[in-house]
Amino acid sequence: MRRSRKLALFTLLLLRAVGAEAADKGQIIRAGDLLAQPFIDAAHAGKVAPAEQVTVVERRGAWANVQVAGKSGWVRLLNIRLEPTAGLAGPAKRQPVRPNGLTSLLQTGSSGRTVTTGVKGMDEEDIRNATTNYVELALLETLGVEASDARANAVQNNLKERRVDYLDKKGSK
Amino acid sequence: MRARRLVRSALATCAALALTTQALAQFPNIGGLIKGAQNAKKLSDSFRKISEPEEMKLGGDLAGIILGVAPLVKDGAKQRYINWVGRWLALHSERPDLPWKFGIVNTADVNAFSMPGGYILITRGMVDKMRSESELAGVLAHEIAHVVHRHHLAALQQSLRNSALTGFGDYIQSGSAVGSVVKTAIINAGKDIFTHGLNKNDEFEADRMGVVIAARSGYSPFGLVGVLQTLSAAPDDKGFALMNKTHPLPVERIDRLDRAMGTQMDALAVADVSVPTFAQPRLVIDPKPTALHKHGKHKS
Repeated sequence: MRRSRKLALFTLLLLRAVGAEAADKGQIIRAGDLLAQPFIDAAHAGKVAPAEQVTVVERRGAWANVQVAGKSGWVRLLNIRLEPTAGLAGPAKRQPVRPNGLTSLLQTGSSGRTVTTGVKGMDEEDIRNATTNYVELALLETLGVEASDARANAVQNNLKERRVDYLDKKGSK
Repeated sequence: MRARRLVRSALATCAALALTTQALAQFPNIGGLIKGAQNAKKLSDSFRKISEPEEMKLGGDLAGIILGVAPLVKDGAKQRYINWVGRWLALHSERPDLPWKFGIVNTADVNAFSMPGGYILITRGMVDKMRSESELAGVLAHEIAHVVHRHHLAALQQSLRNSALTGFGDYIQSGSAVGSVVKTAIINAGKDIFTHGLNKNDEFEADRMGVVIAARSGYSPFGLVGVLQTLSAAPDDKGFALMNKTHPLPVERIDRLDRAMGTQMDALAVADVSVPTFAQPRLVIDPKPTALHKHGKHKS
């Protein structure tokens, strides 16, 4: 029992550590308010300006908890643009090209691209040169699931259906 | 009967050759032959009203292109998971009864594709980038929206508008020389769509519809926003190159969604659920797929 608690605590700490590592760097898109809580009518905790640098600490629905210029607060998730190279941590991150060693064994073709598994990438040239693969298509045809199975899985995972109207075409130029 | 087949073959060959002015110079009678075929429906017009089986045949051929580049990840549990999530989402669209098929394809590049008839392919690299199941739902729902709106059919019609080809029926029935020529033209048009992308407005429309389909299905409508932020952070990453080339700028998409969503969907945000650990394809495919069948368990 004690052992399982220790394990749970370790897992929790590990997840927190992973969460901290996954903090995204970004910048504000539009001027707005920094709020004390993730609600539209929450108390103001300051202002944010376009291009201001932020660190995304947490995401909660429409909101992101950010650290900005020594302050902490909430801004709308839709008001943040992540910075290049930020947010790319993950198992699929590409390895740098190395001329020798194991990585070179995984290099595909002469394009200089590297892949993490020895599997080819998928660029424009790949598609242009592609031959339709009907063996794989036949396999794909077998993968569909019944609506009832999908529904059972959704119920098991506590997904609740809701009535939501489609959005108007606002913002189109 | 035989004579009719010969005429069809001649027409197909001639129509293909007519695509170049050089061919016209060499075969001055081609114009007359094409004129004779004008009673038949132009290929591009064939996509205006298309039956579901025809759409599926078309979609299968286009899916075959992507599968020709990257085969499916050979893991039944992962593929079943993506189909459960995808089908659930599709049930909340206007085409719930299409025989939807979802597949994870084995490439580290980040992308997702939809094809007419309900075929949706997402790359292993994209699944790997998902912070939550809501983000995955956002991507799949965006692709489902393209199918619901038949965006690819409109794009094929546009792409083939200058083609003198006819014979969509021969393509559907397969086996004939005409069908073969038409199929080649359609495959090439499909490659154009996959490498140049759909109409920008179709992408914005799929974004708007995608967030609603996800929300209707019980997911956070902000999942797609998170994915667009990930894309906005990788403008020069080669693994994102094709995705970025074929879509409007992620920042523009976020901006459009922001204006369309306003605050009206804030109340629909729910706690994000992580993508199950088994569904995140790793560098080494688990050699014991049977051990991965605990599909309902999500990592905390």
